[in-house]
Amino acid sequence: MSGSVSSAPGTIQALQTALTAEHAAIYGYGVAGAYLTGSTQTAAAMNDWVAHQVARDHLETVLRSLGAQPAAAAVAYRLPAPVRNASEAVALAVVLEERIATAYLGLVALSNDSIRDYGALQVQASALRAAAWRGGTVAFPGMTSAALARSRKQP
Amino acid sequence: MLPLAAVSGCDGPDVLAAPPSPAADVTVLREAIAAEQLMITRYTTVLHHAGAAGAAGGSAGSLAGALEPLLAEHRAHLAQLRSRLIVPAGSKARSATPHERAPAAVPAGVSAGVAFLRTAEQDAATAMLKRLRAAPSSLAQLFASIGASEATHVPVLNAAAARVAR
Repeated sequence: MSGSVSSAPGTIQALQTALTAEHAAIYGYGVAGAYLTGSTQTAAAMNDWVAHQVARDHLETVLRSLGAQPAAAAVAYRLPAPVRNASEAVALAVVLEERIATAYLGLVALSNDSIRDYGALQVQASALRAAAWRGGTVAFPGMTSAALARSRKQP
Repeated sequence: MLPLAAVSGCDGPDVLAAPPSPAADVTVLREAIAAEQLMITRYTTVLHHAGAAGAAGGSAGSLAGALEPLLAEHRAHLAQLRSRLIVPAGSKARSATPHERAPAAVPAGVSAGVAFLRTAEQDAATAMLKRLRAAPSSLAQLFASIGASEATHVPVLNAAAARVAR
């Protein structure tokens, strides 16, 4: 991100939400990685785990530049479903990426152009990772059905 | 009764003036709608070509199985984008420009057609990102999500192209 970024509460909150989602993803990939099998899946999980660490570091840097204290990672996170095997680990990775995409759409809603662009690129990166884990694509990555319905009413 | 000069001399809007230009967000929304329509035409054309090739003994069924879900997503994109376009009552829907009406230059060969779609998807994802800055918040989110969806189509088309080439 470049240029002048507003330190308005809405901007800080959206950045903190994205950061919190990144913390959760890093934790979640750590869990998933323990159950994934085969060099391809293991390597993919490692690449994605590193990508989320890079994004976390970037968000923390931006937040500090705005005078905000970045949200700290929790010791542990409640998983959306139990993970006991490779299949459930893959399902967890998909959920993590879907949540990440939704969090970054919060940055796209901000008025700052560079934050918008960064958020959109992260939505795209997350959608690509989710599609790879899911083995299929979706029409609206990161958009919940409620958000789609709401956006029709509020152009 | 007021004298005519008093009525006509008010500072109201000039009803005979040219209609105002559409707002920037309306312009980018129309662009996005036109782009989705074009993409749907391209997929339909490639599927038609694949069907013709399949009748001659090709692997059209396999290719259709890969392309039709992507086409369905483009149709969902178009429906969602259209739902965001509010045309004022009494105004006519804008007709497409000659550029938008131009037929999609889809190669006739199945393999070349899939490669064409792959490039078109990548370009569409990039174009969607460029529209973000002119859009209000909720529309920007929709553009970002649709652009991300289009980016995910590229690896699917890469795999389809590899299968067609075999």
